[in-house]
Amino acid sequence: MSFADGPSIQIDHLSVRYPERSACALCDLTAEIGPGAALAVTGPSGCGKTTLLRALAGFIPDMIRADVSGSIHFDGSPSAGRDPIHPRPSVGLVQQDPDAQVCTLRVRSEVAFGPENLCLPRTVVDRRVQQAMDVMGIAHLADRDTTTLSGGEKQRLAVASILAMEPPILLLDEPTAHLDPACAMALFEQLRHVRELRGCSLVIVEHRLAPLTMLAPQLWVLDSGRRVPREPGREHVPAERLLQRAHRNTRSEESPTASVLGVAGLTFSYGGPGRLIEDLNVSIRPGTVHGIIGPNGGGKTTLLRLLAGLERPDGGQIVRHSQARPGMVFQHPHQQIFEHTVRRDLEIEGPMSDADVMAALRGARLAGTAARAPHSLSLGEQRRLTVLSAFRNDPKVLLLDEPFIGQDRENVLWIVERIVDARDRGAAIVLVTHDIPLADALCDRLLYLGDTVLEGVPSDVFGRLEDMGRTAFTPAFWEESNR
Amino acid sequence: MIPRIAFRPGLRGLHRVHPATNLLLLASVLLAVLGTHSLIVKGAVLLLTFALAVWSEGSIRAWSKPLRFVMTFSALLFIVQVISIREGFVLFRIGVPVTREGMLAGANMALRFLVILSSSFTFVVTTDPDALANALIRWGIPYRHGYTLILALRFVPFFRNELRIVRDAQRMRGIKASVRSVRSIRRAIRTTFVPVLVAGLIRVDTIAMSMKGRAFGLYRRRTLPPRARLAWEDGLVWICSAACIGVAVWAGGVGWL
Repeated sequence: MSFADGPSIQIDHLSVRYPERSACALCDLTAEIGPGAALAVTGPSGCGKTTLLRALAGFIPDMIRADVSGSIHFDGSPSAGRDPIHPRPSVGLVQQDPDAQVCTLRVRSEVAFGPENLCLPRTVVDRRVQQAMDVMGIAHLADRDTTTLSGGEKQRLAVASILAMEPPILLLDEPTAHLDPACAMALFEQLRHVRELRGCSLVIVEHRLAPLTMLAPQLWVLDSGRRVPREPGREHVPAERLLQRAHRNTRSEESPTASVLGVAGLTFSYGGPGRLIEDLNVSIRPGTVHGIIGPNGGGKTTLLRLLAGLERPDGGQIVRHSQARPGMVFQHPHQQIFEHTVRRDLEIEGPMSDADVMAALRGARLAGTAARAPHSLSLGEQRRLTVLSAFRNDPKVLLLDEPFIGQDRENVLWIVERIVDARDRGAAIVLVTHDIPLADALCDRLLYLGDTVLEGVPSDVFGRLEDMGRTAFTPAFWEESNR
Repeated sequence: MIPRIAFRPGLRGLHRVHPATNLLLLASVLLAVLGTHSLIVKGAVLLLTFALAVWSEGSIRAWSKPLRFVMTFSALLFIVQVISIREGFVLFRIGVPVTREGMLAGANMALRFLVILSSSFTFVVTTDPDALANALIRWGIPYRHGYTLILALRFVPFFRNELRIVRDAQRMRGIKASVRSVRSIRRAIRTTFVPVLVAGLIRVDTIAMSMKGRAFGLYRRRTLPPRARLAWEDGLVWICSAACIGVAVWAGGVGWL
């Protein structure tokens, strides 16, 4: 199959407006996506990227209520994602959260789910399942329980389960949001292979564009539901520049004070064979940002939970010199939102004046949401609300688990400013992130947690990672990709 | 606390039998304990469940450890019955009279509870839900309903995990889930169940889109996985199932204790 064999997509004056929202999610969008194209769609949070993918897949307005005008045609037929001639979906959508789209309990049955629904003969189903698992490198996981897979494995499973249906158009919504840098690069390498093999079109929504360069995609930038001209460099604001824009020193001086939090000989496992964390020694001083990077499943979130006192270590010690409760941002924001309005949720940590609430929300680009139900906010907005809550009352220790997921660069900058402010006030910040250039620019110390443990100043840790051949975890690799 | 109960792949005992055979065994055990008043039959069924579970899991500990709560609760049920039924033939006194009727009622209730819970647990840990759903679909149950079972089981670990994280998040934000007054109970419900419910609803929406996007429901039928094979263990379990029903019916007839 050549690139030109797939259908083209014509989007004609497409507008989408969700109920109870005054602004359009997509506004009068007209464009054409050629057969076999690779297209990257980027833009600020809430600009309509996910809405575009859901409209292309036919979920809007079929499953998600919205006022829609205009049309989407596949090779001239208004099929809303479903090929009317061949009984198969023309479009396969891999959604943002790979864990949330798994329907079955075994990897093999998950990949077979789509082809089985298409009533294909058993031999064809088995062939497609094997091919999809081979292409995505998950054949060795065929009999595994889907709940035991790592984030990277689930993402590859999600793509394989769509590939097995052989749709000519593949849509991916932030496929690397939960992946470590090495997994992100591997996923796009596999997608490149799929495109060469199958000739399918790829439409990928991403904030991190660097790993996409190997697909040489066409780039669309959306803003407020409209396609806008690309401003060179806008999508790739380098981390150092982000910090300069925040008018802060990029690195604090090495603090001579005693540590506020530390672990000595820390060992932990979840009861299975092997230890997730073994004999770990880390000392976290006030006024520093301590970054944690590493592969999916390496123990980063577990270490944060141990530091917060939410898990008990199997061995070793966790030394807390401050008894005050740390501020914490969890990976999934809906898990730490408890009240029925944004304002009341902010006030869990204590009452606030009207002026303070308005100022805090305006700063977080959440103006006008004070009386809204927090769960009605977008995931990106919810995450900023949880960041606001965590930083209230100026905690001495802040534990942040991937706070930048799903945020555009302006929102990343706002979070970075909060971190730098807290650091300058003397807080100790532990930050788990997959954003390597930002970790390099922002962190005073870095901990790499994986099959090996490295700890030190960022330049040392990155140097050792470079020597070990783990280039995807080094800023040089990402700066090169961005160029 | 939600106990960790989920299918565990295995290579022996009930793990090797057809899922329909496991379902038949569960139905027989439940019928036997619910359909008879006989203490001896209930005790025998409990022993059979215990023997089959140990045969499948390879050790007593692997089976009994997750059931410690059930055993403790059964003991509690027995004690409550014994001290609350004071009429009848008094056997001895421990502050309150302990009667033969109280002992019998307590043993009946505790054994029934223990058999129902332990046999259900054995069924869940030894039966692959995918294989069970496919067996049910082969029997003519519409595949949409068959998949309801798989999705329900898919949500058990999800809710367990969500509840744990929400409680952790409450701790980190200084929320104490107290149940000392109506107001605090309302607050506990709002701050615990609302986030878990919201997470569940988000998950349901995403899974529904994922299923529809993969042509679920497009046709009245779907291709089924290969048929599961019968093993010699199936024959043994059929005999046990028949014995459960037979002994329960016979015991009812002769009026065993």
